[in-house]
Amino acid sequence: MSHLAVADQKGTAAMAPAARQEIVSLTQITKSFGPTLANAEIDLAISAGEIIGLVGGNGAGKSTLMRILCGTMWPTLGSISFAGQALDFTDYNTAEAQRRGIRMVHQELSLCANLSVAENFFLETPQDAASRPGWRRLYRGRARSALDAVFPGNGIDVDAQVSQLSIAERQMVEIARAAATPGVRLIVLDEPTSSLDLDRSRQLRAFIRERAKAGLAFIFISHKLQEIVDIASQVVVLRNGRSAWRGDVADTSIGKLVQIMGGDTNPVHQHGAAAVGAAGALVRLSGALTSELGRDIEIARGEIVGLAGLEGSGQKDLLHAIFKPGKDAGVTRTGDAGFIAGDRQKEGVFPLWSVLGNISIGSLARRPALGLVSDRVNRAAAADAAGRLRLDEHRFGSNILEFSGGNQQKALVARALVADTPIILLDDPTRGVDIATKQDFYRLCNDIARSGRTLVWHTTEDAELLACDRVLVFAGGRIVKELTGAAITEAAIVGASFVQQADKRAAAARGKARVAGLARLVNAAPFIGLAAVLAVMISANPAVASIFGLDLLLMPALSLVLVTAAQMFIVGGSEIDLGVGAFAGLVSVLSATLLYDQPWLGALALLAAVAAYAGLGGLIQARKIPAIVVTLGASFIWVGLGYALQPTPGGTSPEWLTALFGWSLDFLPTSIILIAAVALVVLVIDRLPLGVVLRGFGNNPTAMIRSGWSPTRYALVRYLIAGLFAAAAGLSLTAINTASDINSGNSFTLLSVAAVVMGGCSLLGGIVSPVGAIAGAVTLSLIGALLGTLNVSSDFNAATQGLILIALLTLRGLTADRGSEQ
Amino acid sequence: MNALSAFTLWTQKNRWIWAAIGVLLLWLVLSVVTNRFSLSSLSGIILSASFLTVVGIGQMFVVTTGRGNIDLSVASVITLSAFVALLTIKGQDANLAIGVAAAVLLGLAVGLLNSLLVVGLGIPAIIATLATGYVLATATLLSNRAIPGFAVSPALKDLATGRISGVPIMAIMAILGVAVASFVLRYTVFGQLLSAVGQNRTAARLAAINNGRVIAAAFIISSVLASLDGLLLGAYIGGAFLEMGQPYLLQSIAAVVLGGTLIFGGSATALGTLFASILLILIVTTMQIVGLPPGVQDIVQGIVVIFVLALAGDRRWRAAHRSIPRTPQRRRQSQAPPRPCRSDEHVTNDFSCQILVE
Repeated sequence: MSHLAVADQKGTAAMAPAARQEIVSLTQITKSFGPTLANAEIDLAISAGEIIGLVGGNGAGKSTLMRILCGTMWPTLGSISFAGQALDFTDYNTAEAQRRGIRMVHQELSLCANLSVAENFFLETPQDAASRPGWRRLYRGRARSALDAVFPGNGIDVDAQVSQLSIAERQMVEIARAAATPGVRLIVLDEPTSSLDLDRSRQLRAFIRERAKAGLAFIFISHKLQEIVDIASQVVVLRNGRSAWRGDVADTSIGKLVQIMGGDTNPVHQHGAAAVGAAGALVRLSGALTSELGRDIEIARGEIVGLAGLEGSGQKDLLHAIFKPGKDAGVTRTGDAGFIAGDRQKEGVFPLWSVLGNISIGSLARRPALGLVSDRVNRAAAADAAGRLRLDEHRFGSNILEFSGGNQQKALVARALVADTPIILLDDPTRGVDIATKQDFYRLCNDIARSGRTLVWHTTEDAELLACDRVLVFAGGRIVKELTGAAITEAAIVGASFVQQADKRAAAARGKARVAGLARLVNAAPFIGLAAVLAVMISANPAVASIFGLDLLLMPALSLVLVTAAQMFIVGGSEIDLGVGAFAGLVSVLSATLLYDQPWLGALALLAAVAAYAGLGGLIQARKIPAIVVTLGASFIWVGLGYALQPTPGGTSPEWLTALFGWSLDFLPTSIILIAAVALVVLVIDRLPLGVVLRGFGNNPTAMIRSGWSPTRYALVRYLIAGLFAAAAGLSLTAINTASDINSGNSFTLLSVAAVVMGGCSLLGGIVSPVGAIAGAVTLSLIGALLGTLNVSSDFNAATQGLILIALLTLRGLTADRGSEQ
Repeated sequence: MNALSAFTLWTQKNRWIWAAIGVLLLWLVLSVVTNRFSLSSLSGIILSASFLTVVGIGQMFVVTTGRGNIDLSVASVITLSAFVALLTIKGQDANLAIGVAAAVLLGLAVGLLNSLLVVGLGIPAIIATLATGYVLATATLLSNRAIPGFAVSPALKDLATGRISGVPIMAIMAILGVAVASFVLRYTVFGQLLSAVGQNRTAARLAAINNGRVIAAAFIISSVLASLDGLLLGAYIGGAFLEMGQPYLLQSIAAVVLGGTLIFGGSATALGTLFASILLILIVTTMQIVGLPPGVQDIVQGIVVIFVLALAGDRRWRAAHRSIPRTPQRRRQSQAPPRPCRSDEHVTNDFSCQILVE
């Protein structure tokens, strides 16, 4: 009896949201993208303690609605209110949403992969950080307890770089980070369990239930309806951008939800497969891929083969392997393959071209490079394909981006048709496409297959698989089940998808460890190189090892070290400054002329120069223009200013400046102390909260903006820091040379880029290694002296530097993950 | 559709027109202000601009491959080629064929090296061409020691400085080059593939395009053109000197960008590069006529480049690439999110930020 009473209490608590305080309410939200309505008149109110299950097919408008809720997008029409108080959308943005306690865990993950788990926690709640040593401890503790609270026994190292975590672990960090935010009131979880295994998913749901009791509200978006039914208190169903149903979870069931979401997606199965024969086989799958089945798979002409399974189980990999068979992947094909991408923006459209251009490129790749292109011929070929797709020929001249998603997809299909390949690979082509286009598409698939071609079709909509002759179900990167004909049912597909495989991950981890070992060796390369150069020089001339000898040798390196420090901060933001050496030259001229003659005016001019340099960074960010060209242009300005001030080398170094670089200790060379000091300063800045933010922007600006950071402000800060280092380099030039020459810094620009890259910084941004870069700078500046010691002409100086750069980059390229497209 | 909007639409497809208008305006102003400007003085400017145009066309091909690709080795190639010409031709017309062959070979070798580094080893173009430039600098120093003298073959000299009925031969060659480049870009398969690769590399690969080969071709074209340019430039100035190619580094990039070629790749205009080259030389000449000191001339050039980029580069790009992330290589996650609006962006009229709250 008492049992029942407890259950009853729980029940009333969950079932009576009306009594709870309302957190946020969206009213009559409409959002249009050109002609398509992503959201139409949607109402959504969320109260404390509620768990809303948000479901809907692909393109139903869930993501758009959530973006509007979280302030990343404004609606075309509609209003928002918090606890009954209306708020104007013009005052609403990501930062405001966060201030009001709304957090979203994005499906595509918004962590900075180059930062540690703890540092990612810092990015979300920076206000508690202090710029002093040990500031990370707070976030380390916070990360630890947050992770343990949601996922007990997770074993994630909070000091580990996010890039070293598995996708599931990243997802866990992201969820824990959102849940641990102080003052959070509503958490939106977009497909949170898509990469979690069953245990973690259960832990998450238990946590959500727990926190909901304490008054936290959740919106839980998932395609796994059993999870929705399990966790949600209320369910909201979206369909074609409209709210199709909202009600208590008790009033619904999986079957009912499927029906409301769009049960009309029933592709007619009209296709009769040709008999599978070895002669007609276009694709053969074998090896590890089919080891679970115990036999090879052949795909014949005239077949439509579907690839099913949980997202990311290897379906896409197979498509790409068929498109471009590797050496030992167990995939062979005879005949060309065409590819129809579903991620149209990223993998499909050519945004500068018209629809016609986007279609006819399909037939060009296999023609000789100097063959002629004729609009008339293209148009005729495209018109044929477009006719079969019901794509309006009169709009061929329009830019592809003016088309709706469905029509863009038709153009991509037409591209594959004009390519006229016997095999056509489809990568979730109906994603975000309206129902009418889908029907056209299914019909066309049948036509294409009947005409003797093979279709391999990856889809995330299980219902579409019913249109296939055969379905290969994937789990853990392998084909675990083959279904044919009447055996293809949604139940059978889902059943086979959930086969768990645990042994694969361990093997991947072992491989990772080996690459990491090699990478460590490469990271040590700048230091090994520096040591080797010094060793050779000392063995050739023992006097080098004296304090005086080292000072003489290393003092000229100081300026390059400082310029390299400046360049490193720019490269950390995935940009390159081609004017930094010229800027150092200008500062040198200023300090030897104006600063010497009129100290106050000179100091003012130096300040103005640094401010101008920082402003350049702001301009680059604000106008989104390429830094390389802007800074190259700026280098002309710096050099021009220098020439105007001082047409020929000369000037005098102020005494205090000379003294600043000219002191000496008896037991250590001054130059080594100064270089070490520079390294220390750079290292400290990099380790401070500020350095973490700068690196965050270098890696994932989108995530930083989502967390409420201003990109323009930090571009200014980044260039200000770089400007200060470059200015210091200019001053050191004047002090060391006791005079100035506007051209004295020119060679530093490219050398600094080389040093930064040699030191291990990534040109893609976000990965900086201050000490390595400085070791690289010292090495490069010693090359001249080294060649002198070895009696090699100084003519070979530049070539040696270039070859070292190439060698190091080649090494790095071999160890690094080649993720980028060629 | 009224005339103005028709013109706007037309300029979007013919971006070279802005550089052409710039040339026309500046020339008109100069003609009115000074009496020294005439068609013949313009032909002198066009002669100087021709050397820039040739290297600019090559740079344009590299820039069009996208991803911020730039060929930083052109300056070193020009210089080295001029020295190699002195070494091989030795002032004799008889050796001209060998000289030209040497220039082409040099261009091919450097282009192949650059493509090996960029395509084969995956080194970012800017670093790869930088490293190549270092190696070439040493080669230049070595050939500087080896050259027998500064004699230039008379035939080559004629080619670089001569005129046919008042029109510089060099200008005719440059214009022919522009015509060929325009034709290649617009009417050949290669031109279309180049544009596709520059717009969206993943989509290009999935359209069965061999991206590596297209990119390599662009680098080879750039190096060969720079090398031929160096050969002719050497003949024009009557010898060779260290750093002689240096000014062409910024100017070639500036000519490409000012001409209307998209710095982010995918769309090129050879005609624009021609007009922008003339415009740049015209600006420099104007400053010399006005008597500005060399330092100020540098400043003005720098400001022009930054100003044009800040004013037009962004809008051009956005108009064409509304929904493509600015730096695609940075997004490795499976789904690119639409660019979120930021608070500091509300003043722009980016369509995803538009708000129509009633």
